[in-house]
Amino acid sequence: MANEVDRTGLLKRLARSTALDEISRSLLDEPAERLSAWLRTTAGIVAMLLALQFVTGALLSFYYLPSTAGAHTTIAYIEKVASAGYWFRSLHHFGSQLLTLFLVLHLAQMFWRRAYARKPVAWIAAVLLLAFVTGNGATGYSLPWDARAFFSTRIAEGMANGLPMIGGAARRWLLGGTEISPLTLVRFYALHLLVIPFIILLTVIARLFIFREISAGEERRAWAKQQFARNAIAASVVFFSLALFATRFHAPLGPPATELLPGYLPRPGAQFLWLFQLLKYLPGRIATAAAATLLLVIFVALIALPFLNKSTSREFMGRPLRRIGQTIFAAMLALFFTLTALAYIADFSNTRVREQLARQRADEQAFLNQPFEPVRMAVTEEQNAGEQVQDTATSITGNSNAGNSNSQTPSVSSSSQPPAAYTKSCSSCHGSRGQGFFPYPKLLGVSAKPNRTIEDLIALMNNPEAYGLKPPMKSFAGKLSEAEEREIAEWVEGLKKPQGRQR
Amino acid sequence: MAEASTEHDDKNRLKSRRDFLSFIPLALLAGMAATIAAAAFRFLRPTQIFEEAKWTDIGPLSQFTGDKPIMRSVSTERAAGWASMVEEHFVFVLPDKNYQVLSAACPHEGCNVVWRDEDKNFFCPCHDSLFAADGSRVSGPSRRGLDPLPSEQENGVLKVKYQSYVNNTNERVVRG
Repeated sequence: MANEVDRTGLLKRLARSTALDEISRSLLDEPAERLSAWLRTTAGIVAMLLALQFVTGALLSFYYLPSTAGAHTTIAYIEKVASAGYWFRSLHHFGSQLLTLFLVLHLAQMFWRRAYARKPVAWIAAVLLLAFVTGNGATGYSLPWDARAFFSTRIAEGMANGLPMIGGAARRWLLGGTEISPLTLVRFYALHLLVIPFIILLTVIARLFIFREISAGEERRAWAKQQFARNAIAASVVFFSLALFATRFHAPLGPPATELLPGYLPRPGAQFLWLFQLLKYLPGRIATAAAATLLLVIFVALIALPFLNKSTSREFMGRPLRRIGQTIFAAMLALFFTLTALAYIADFSNTRVREQLARQRADEQAFLNQPFEPVRMAVTEEQNAGEQVQDTATSITGNSNAGNSNSQTPSVSSSSQPPAAYTKSCSSCHGSRGQGFFPYPKLLGVSAKPNRTIEDLIALMNNPEAYGLKPPMKSFAGKLSEAEEREIAEWVEGLKKPQGRQR
Repeated sequence: MAEASTEHDDKNRLKSRRDFLSFIPLALLAGMAATIAAAAFRFLRPTQIFEEAKWTDIGPLSQFTGDKPIMRSVSTERAAGWASMVEEHFVFVLPDKNYQVLSAACPHEGCNVVWRDEDKNFFCPCHDSLFAADGSRVSGPSRRGLDPLPSEQENGVLKVKYQSYVNNTNERVVRG
């Protein structure tokens, strides 16, 4: 059959002047037929999903704003207003879960036919991709800065903290401080959009261009062509299924992190459900540490696999060792899928959890159905048009500079100084002027909410639980005098919602 | 002869079948790319940032006295994607010209002009365009005088409809 493979002029020229030919040969393993050949199309599916993540991610970044003030609004804009926005976000969200799944299947498939021994670079590249794709999934869940993001960031924080030896430092470096703050969001953004994708690209480039494992010879060209077609068909089946799925199902978007309701049940994406379920079984304090260590062990074991295989002489030790390896690998896969299934079953079998999750989904749907509310952003400085009479040249030419001195910045600073009792008892969480400090809610505009009259606010300080508030909001009964509480309540009631962006 | 030609035909048929087979994966890849590209085109298409001009109060008529132009600011709000864009604009009220309102934006490149009391004229600090006290063009690169804005007096209050005009034209064309 080999002599039948003739190539047209253009392809010949392309093959001569580029490395495409070698790449295609380095990508392919020994020829196989039928089912086995189709099983190997996980490679093409992974390549397609990886490209899809890059494209959809780049598109979403055209609208996304990585700030605690803008993140949730911009995602809501993508979901509600931008045409095809929800589709791209859904593709990106569910695509990342599929990518993880197919990377695992790809590894399983390579493991099954012991490709890690023949092509260690391909194996290590796939393991690295799985690790980085998981990392990007973890950072990605923080970006919408919704309730889900808040808990996902918490878990990432705990995992970093649980790393052996470097835990405390890793946590602080990841968060950009000692607590989760607006700095954390920007760090996760940089990791998710720049650092990790760059490393993923480097891995792919190293796999394709630097390390060569050319196993396919000239006589396998015909098979290579068929295999390319099989990969393309498998990838397109997955793509179009996902594309149709994404037109029907939105990626979840929880309430903003600042409007967290008591009793909210966070649920991670499908690719992290096994970890979520595992954390339930481990005792509280060591749970995240144990999970972090487990992830590290799995990662090191997978990377080491090709070398272990080589270092043992196959005649004497090879067979039993391989059995053990196969058993461990199969057990690990079974564990992942079982834990994932258990997580779904646990949520479904507990009536209260099921109802709460259904309520959250209904809330998310209701939020999606509400019209989009833009954030007000001042392009030039807002000034009090009332009293100022500017009729001299100097005050006008330098209006951007002069404006600062004689105009009041709207919102926060326009209200009077907070009472001393507020500064002492409330400001550490709710901010020096009621602006809030993530995750503690802001008090600005609180009087516009139901049940927040001055009398209500005083009663709330004495018994927060009666108003549905949860710890860490504590009762100040007996700690503050009635006069102090009234002073605080009156000041808080007068706080207006911010108008426009603050500089 | 006949035998040879059948062999040739068979070969041709085989070849065209192979070409067709190699066409399938390329068509599939193109199909995926086109699906994304079509949606991406809609997703990235620029939005129209325009809002009908609204009547805004700029103060009671009693504030505007004397023979000098008096500056006021007017803010407008327009939807720009996920942001609601709040912009501040400056206007001059001419009390002795029946409360005519002029936009402070220079019709040349849009800098804000200033009133020079000692020379009794408007001056643009960007490119030295000069306008008379009634807003008409005197000298400089601007191709027309300062733009008058629609204004009206209601119950002793001066109202203005702020609009932007296209820069650098002889005729006044409302932007949007």
